[in-house]
Amino acid sequence: MAAGQNGAGPASQTILVVGGGIAGVTAAVEAAEAGQDVILIEREAALGGRVTKLNRYFPKLCHPTCGLEINYQRIRKNPRIRVMTMCEVQGISGGRGDYKVSVQRHPRFVNERCTACGACANATETMVENPFNYGLDKVKAAYLPHEHAFPMRYVVAPEAIAAGEGEKLKSACAYGALDPDDKGETFDLHVGAVVWATGWQPYDPKNLDVYSYVHSRDIITNVEMERLAAHDGPTHGKILRPSNGEPAKKVALIQCAGSRDLNHLPYCSRICCLGSLKHAAYVREQYPDAEVHIYYIDIRAHDKLEAFYDRVRADPQVKFIKSKPAHIRVGEDGRPMLHGERTIDREIYAEPYDLVVLATGMQPSAVAGYRPTMGLVADEYGFLVPVEGDGEGMFSAGVASGPLDVSMSVQSATAAALKAIQAVRNA
Amino acid sequence: MTTPAPAAAKTYDLSFARWVRDNVNGGDKLNLCMQCGACSGSCPIGVQMDYGPRKLFMMIRAGMKEEVLSANTQWNCTSCYRCVVRCPRGVPVTYILQDLAAKSAEFGYAKGPHENKNFAQAFWWSAATFGRTDERLVTMRYFFSLGFGEGFKRAMANLKTAIGMVKTGRMHIGLPHMTKGRKGLKAALAKAREIEQRN
Amino acid sequence: MSEKKPGVYLCKGCGISDAVDVGALEKVGKNEFRIGHCVVSDALCSPESVASMQKDVADGAVNRMVVGACSPRVMADKFRFDGVPVVRANLREQVAWSQPAHEEDTEMLAADSIRMAAAQLAKTQQPTPAALGEISRTILVVGGGVTGLTAALEAAQSGYDALLVEKSDALGGWSNKWSMRAPHAPPYRDIYGNDIEALIAKVKANGRVRILTNATVAKTSGQPGAFDVVIAHGGQEVTEKVGAIVVATGWRPYDATKLTHLGYGASPDVVTGIEFEAMLAKGAPVKPSNGAPVKNIAFLQCAGSRDPNHLPYCSSVCCTASIKQALQVVKGDKDAMAYIVYEELRTPGTAEEFYREAQRNGVVFMKGKATSVDGKAMTVSYSDELLGEDVPLGGLDLIVLATGMVPNSTNVDAPAIEPEKSEAQLKDDINPVAPIKVSGYAHGEGSPWPHIDKGVPPGGPILNLQYRQGPHIPILADGFSDSHYICFPYETRRTGIYTAGPVRRPMDMAESAEDATGAVLKAIQALEGGAIGSSVHPRVGDLTFPKIGHEKCTKCRRCTVECPFGAIDEDEQGRPTVNFARCRRCGTCMGACPVQTITFDNYNPQMVNDMIEANEIPDEFSEKPRILVLACENDAYPAIDMAGIARSHWSPFVRIVPVRCLGSVTLQWISTALQKGYDGIMLMGCKSGDDYQCHFVKGSALAKERLGKVGETLKSLALEQERVSFEEMSIADSCRAPTVLDAFAKLVGDLPPNPMKGF
Repeated sequence: MAAGQNGAGPASQTILVVGGGIAGVTAAVEAAEAGQDVILIEREAALGGRVTKLNRYFPKLCHPTCGLEINYQRIRKNPRIRVMTMCEVQGISGGRGDYKVSVQRHPRFVNERCTACGACANATETMVENPFNYGLDKVKAAYLPHEHAFPMRYVVAPEAIAAGEGEKLKSACAYGALDPDDKGETFDLHVGAVVWATGWQPYDPKNLDVYSYVHSRDIITNVEMERLAAHDGPTHGKILRPSNGEPAKKVALIQCAGSRDLNHLPYCSRICCLGSLKHAAYVREQYPDAEVHIYYIDIRAHDKLEAFYDRVRADPQVKFIKSKPAHIRVGEDGRPMLHGERTIDREIYAEPYDLVVLATGMQPSAVAGYRPTMGLVADEYGFLVPVEGDGEGMFSAGVASGPLDVSMSVQSATAAALKAIQAVRNA
Repeated sequence: MTTPAPAAAKTYDLSFARWVRDNVNGGDKLNLCMQCGACSGSCPIGVQMDYGPRKLFMMIRAGMKEEVLSANTQWNCTSCYRCVVRCPRGVPVTYILQDLAAKSAEFGYAKGPHENKNFAQAFWWSAATFGRTDERLVTMRYFFSLGFGEGFKRAMANLKTAIGMVKTGRMHIGLPHMTKGRKGLKAALAKAREIEQRN
Repeated sequence: MSEKKPGVYLCKGCGISDAVDVGALEKVGKNEFRIGHCVVSDALCSPESVASMQKDVADGAVNRMVVGACSPRVMADKFRFDGVPVVRANLREQVAWSQPAHEEDTEMLAADSIRMAAAQLAKTQQPTPAALGEISRTILVVGGGVTGLTAALEAAQSGYDALLVEKSDALGGWSNKWSMRAPHAPPYRDIYGNDIEALIAKVKANGRVRILTNATVAKTSGQPGAFDVVIAHGGQEVTEKVGAIVVATGWRPYDATKLTHLGYGASPDVVTGIEFEAMLAKGAPVKPSNGAPVKNIAFLQCAGSRDPNHLPYCSSVCCTASIKQALQVVKGDKDAMAYIVYEELRTPGTAEEFYREAQRNGVVFMKGKATSVDGKAMTVSYSDELLGEDVPLGGLDLIVLATGMVPNSTNVDAPAIEPEKSEAQLKDDINPVAPIKVSGYAHGEGSPWPHIDKGVPPGGPILNLQYRQGPHIPILADGFSDSHYICFPYETRRTGIYTAGPVRRPMDMAESAEDATGAVLKAIQALEGGAIGSSVHPRVGDLTFPKIGHEKCTKCRRCTVECPFGAIDEDEQGRPTVNFARCRRCGTCMGACPVQTITFDNYNPQMVNDMIEANEIPDEFSEKPRILVLACENDAYPAIDMAGIARSHWSPFVRIVPVRCLGSVTLQWISTALQKGYDGIMLMGCKSGDDYQCHFVKGSALAKERLGKVGETLKSLALEQERVSFEEMSIADSCRAPTVLDAFAKLVGDLPPNPMKGF
């Protein structure tokens, strides 16, 4: 429905982007740089989403922060973009050009006066699981999300307030930025179009009970591997066995841990093969004598990324084993033991490893949180796909719309930005 | 029911695969196999099979009728259902193997002394006769079905185990245990046979 | 210009006043730079302080500022005042957080930070943009396939005119040949009709789209907002003004005549996927040799793709295309058998369901490599990896070779223009298949695909750019058109020209349409940027541009040659002329200019020279060496900042000057620093080479090359070579940065002091 038709007020030229990962950030800056006002809301305390937690990108093995830094510069320079963190959409009503979006802001306990000086972190004694490192280590309950956080502002975990540290933190802050009484709030936004870039969550490895994720600390997921390899991760970039801190010299990478599986995620998550090839490079870069075994069904190094597959295949210490491992047990020496059939020579194997990495797939975040009820519809997997011809100003971008890699997400977000611009300008 | 197509030349021939699809219980789902190996890797006795289920399915696809129907794979399945639970493509591996075994027997691929077939027949005799399996009778019937000499040799070899089992109450001596209402059981089985033949 | 009224604003917060004497810094501003308006605040970013700064501006007390506080990477929105140049002195991350409190060296560092900022401010002007004003809001779309059609339509729907130029006589491109399409919408399993006709009709009906078929681009000159494009059409050449260009020239199938080992040419019953598509479009397929119905059909995947003798890459769409064709066969004829011989089956994303759909319908998938094809006997020799034996696949009626995509990044029908120049240009690029060389992870030398290093695509340029840098849009080593293929996939090195669709990466119709939509947005930004003189990515909104002082220019052409974006041409007299709307404002030209006559309003050789000279250099007996670090502001500088955020410490003798890109570093600065008495100089920037990470493509590579010439200078001054160093520093090197700085400080400290001190 076009604005004015429901008599609710003038058409809004503002575009709301939901989700501040690479797709959302891209959609926001691209739309704003074409002259549109944009509100970018993000559920977490800082932008960057999943990519900010990656160590490097395939195939160039460059760092995600490099591109993010440029994107954050673009946001900083552009007064048309308003960034709201710790915010989630609760509901939407209205029509194209005239959406009323109800937004819930979760308490951060730190307001915009924060200078990121770190005095609150020094004051708190409470420790919490570090969300940036997927809980692989702990962090002070008053913390900067990470060193590249944008906005560069601290956040206080509710645990610190529950521990009664609120007043102590408040008095530690010289700038009046601590607000222990922050209850969050609900407010409405009036926007003309919405880009859903709500991204993904790693498929829960606990669902893959045969892979014994809960039984061994040396069985980790691919997103955890990214943190293990990152300089700002729990091991400062050393790939060590979580159980004993020893170097991981024999590593198994298991593809399709959940993906391409009717019992879990029926689709292929697209990025995991290349992600694992990258993980092989991480390990091999650190340990000249390390062995990496990649267990796969098909290696899906699509288009130009085939070259990256070639690079890794050229390494004699990386072996590709065509097999979906049947199960993982913890061996007598405490090492994870993979069991299965090597399909090429039909050998039944029982192979111990220092570290096993499950290439868990991407599940759309929309399976859990709020999702729109007009303009877009969730497919059976939870991806948001367009309802053709309903004239709504709702668009999905990035992994919210399907399992995409970074480049394709950026492509999708740029396209969504133009569609959103058309929607508000033609409202 | 049609008989399996003539053996293919050593080339891919879908006619056997199609016969399996149309005639074997669960065969219609077999096409979905993507050869990941989760079934063979999960199988607790996979090492004893000529081919694991995965390879057997590929052979069906390749039209290798003789090799498939003569394989011991389908006879070794213990119906633990691990493969079925884990199969990412929802292939009912256990059902397919069970029915393939029946078809192998039916079309004469399990001729003469055939360990698994004979054991299965002894097991079925006990279940159908008493409504229960009697370890003693099943074992003896199975051993001696392989010939008198072989039966005697095996019985002697397992004597110690048998005595041990009796001592610990794991096997009893005397009349076999039977279910109540065996008449009903017999009637049910007869009806099942009738239905099967009608198809 | 109105009177310059500088002000110095100093912050005491975040530990700054705990580490340094802020009063002393105030004196630097007042006494050394004669800036009367100096303000010290407990927290400069507090709303109260910002309001009072705003008031100073409104009252006319100041119209330009030094802000001595945190890093310029934070609080940018707070210290932004209309029309007021603001220069930041990084007293927090790079002084208070990374140096011991109140040590003499820390105080000296802080004072130097203010000096550098004040010197920078003195040479900073509010930019006067070179706006084109009147621009063309027409977007030229080259190529009338699904990508081009979508681009034209999206441009029109966004309120812009589109000029669609198609080489052939019909619109639709390869899409015209498709009988049906593979699914891209839920439930992801149903084949659906080819809707290209509907798209063509929509484009034709749109009043904003002008279509020229049988037309090619003969010449392109100008810049975003004002390109002059000569179009050859019907034997005539017409000149059109356009604002931006989307190149959607698509692809062509790999030449199947090169696939004789797969039986192509041996029998009419061996066909390519494209040829089979045409057969399917006519109805139930029949054998070309005798018209008999096709009952047994084999699809051979990767026919030419992923093959060291043919195409190095995966063509992405062939698996899905063969699945679609196989499904059409088995659904059309229940008795037909379809076999797909593959090495890796690639149905990424939701296409996995399409794979299952084919299996459900009885399509047989066979993993292995087809080693040879006997076209006469219609038998495929194939080694089945899963059965572990060679299985001849005989009795086939039709063999379909799933040939891959070759990008139309050149016009194969046109002769190469200036072949030598083309080759040099095309090879001047990253090699996507070079071995990984990070941290010692390298296996074997050279590319596993040696042939592509030599592989300059045949044919002439698509746009025939009348640029100093040659007629082509740069082409990557695998033959695809330029694209920064991770973070910023639309970026090419020819501003205002965007490539979309399979010309930049193999992709299917749905993805091509999406790609076209994104490219149109970039095109709109580029032409609108030209109108107001504002830069596009990555320095979006930058209104400065390179100004060339022609009185000093020696016409050496270094700027025109080295510009990574082909922004500078030469006029008839050989003088450089800047097409500012093509310029990305990296300053590579400034770094190239041997007489330092290229300047930006807020960034110029004299400015950095003054900053270098502004610092106090202690005498040779002080044992306080001085090290100048010229750091890339996009990666190295943030890495050093993040080291400060982590409260890492490093040598207090280091003076860091952020630069737009290492490409903008002129050797003059190094010479100035040596003459001033700095003991060591380090250039810190991005990785160069095959896996380059420079946002301006070759800035760091050029800097490295230029630095190679410094050796002679050092020798002539009787200085040690080690005094000048180049360090690759990525943005994720916050842990390494302090170590690198300390190691260099130690190395320099162990050398005798620079004898030029005090002269």
